[in-house]
Amino acid sequence: MKRVGLAFGLLLAAAGAFAGAAAPDPPPYQPAQPWFKLPEHPPAEVFGNLLINRSAPSARVKPVVFSHWSHRLRYTCRVCHLELDFALKRNGTGITEEANRGGAYCGACHDGKTAFGHTEANCARCHTGEIRSAGEGFGRLAGLPPAKFGNGVDWSAALASGRITPADTLSPGQKRMTIDRTVSLDAEWAMVPPAVFSHADHTRWLDCANCHPAVFNIKKKTTQHFSMKAILAGEFCGACHLNVAFPLDDCRRCHPKMKGF
Amino acid sequence: MRSALVLRRLPALVLVLLIVPAGPARSQGVRKRRPLPAEYGRVVMDNASTRNNVAPVVFDHWTHRMKYTCRVCHVDVGFAMQANETRVHEEDNRKGFFCGACHNGKIAFGPRHDATGGDDPSCERCHSLGKRPAAPELARLTEGFPRGRFGNGIDWEAAELQKKIRPANSLPGVSIQRKPLEIPKDYDIEAKVATLPEIIFSHQKHAVWGGCELCHPDIFTVKRGATKFTMEEIFKGRYCGACHGTVAFPTTDCQRCHTKPVVAAG
Repeated sequence: MKRVGLAFGLLLAAAGAFAGAAAPDPPPYQPAQPWFKLPEHPPAEVFGNLLINRSAPSARVKPVVFSHWSHRLRYTCRVCHLELDFALKRNGTGITEEANRGGAYCGACHDGKTAFGHTEANCARCHTGEIRSAGEGFGRLAGLPPAKFGNGVDWSAALASGRITPADTLSPGQKRMTIDRTVSLDAEWAMVPPAVFSHADHTRWLDCANCHPAVFNIKKKTTQHFSMKAILAGEFCGACHLNVAFPLDDCRRCHPKMKGF
Repeated sequence: MRSALVLRRLPALVLVLLIVPAGPARSQGVRKRRPLPAEYGRVVMDNASTRNNVAPVVFDHWTHRMKYTCRVCHVDVGFAMQANETRVHEEDNRKGFFCGACHNGKIAFGPRHDATGGDDPSCERCHSLGKRPAAPELARLTEGFPRGRFGNGIDWEAAELQKKIRPANSLPGVSIQRKPLEIPKDYDIEAKVATLPEIIFSHQKHAVWGGCELCHPDIFTVKRGATKFTMEEIFKGRYCGACHGTVAFPTTDCQRCHTKPVVAAG
């Protein structure tokens, strides 16, 4: 029986030690260190580029290079990520050559009519195996409103001002959802001013269903674990604002009253 | 001996304790995989199959809605709206209830032998989970149908209007033929969030498939304005979400309901 007692003692000690470790520590003040380890960004013409490598290796074809910036000049996010059902994670979509040729995914536009088609001559235009290769024509962006990070372009301003006119839908007669509602999100840390979220800025690109209810719950103040740490792990705002939409380095675009950044 | 057993299991117990305080798995913050067009509306029924060493039944709504309206099965035949809630049994089917109302070898294929009889290839046409592709190819059978953005990739409402499909609204021997009731007019439902387009609800469009009884009075009471519901509840499968989210066009298609632009004040 003594040994049983010992076993339970050990268990309690282990649980106690874990509970101690699980309590969230306040971030230590380290002036020489950045507060968050932001991901490193590639050059402006490569920002938002992906190397899609789902079945290409087995099919003995080079991975596909996809550039967000060249596509967003023509289409808003919702066209591909809602209507065409592209996942938000690289290689997360069941794209196949067959599906493309049948008019799904890339093939919805790359059909030889709207955009170049799936012909032998065009294989190497996407299947390059090289993430930098989609930088061609990046010079076209030179006149657009500038931004400090990402592609060096303030896409939101470019769209709002009509400098770019991407299509909203592939379905004729479909109207985009609008909602003009700005939300102030209190930061967890004292001294950090609230993040200001504009639905109107987002609905120019996105549909309600891109974010709700999977990425963000719709009930006020019930989205759990919504912290900068989770965002840096690619959740919530980080689903887009890490690698595609303007990156987190641009603190003041969300926390407008933040000083010194 | 018992203490030795506890000690032997100690690592496992510690592991359990380490996992439990981490709380339930997160279900938000990232986008989920949407079902493929042929999978949308698929229900796996395993009321008694696994228990009886038979593969569970794979039911596709789209193959059935091409031939019958929703209310034939969900009202006249009496299928519940939740998978496995109906407690369908082989015996009931063979007596002409539930699936057996049609799958009797006359209206649709049925079992070829009695329940004790040898190999019956027709069993596997429904008891098909993991055995064969669950349904005939969607693309082939819906060729030329009006396209929809989500769900099965088919606009079923338009398909019915264009007579690409002619779903029957009754089943001989099961349904009772009555004169159709007068259908109330379309009306607006105000969105709770300011500036969000209002909802136009059409009784006409719904009555084609559901009649009155599919929604009233269980899902929606009949007193105007008395059923208070929110989008959160719809996302959870209540109210409109009883159908729109898993079978009828999904809630990703916001504009199909939130369709009336808000007129700016002033």
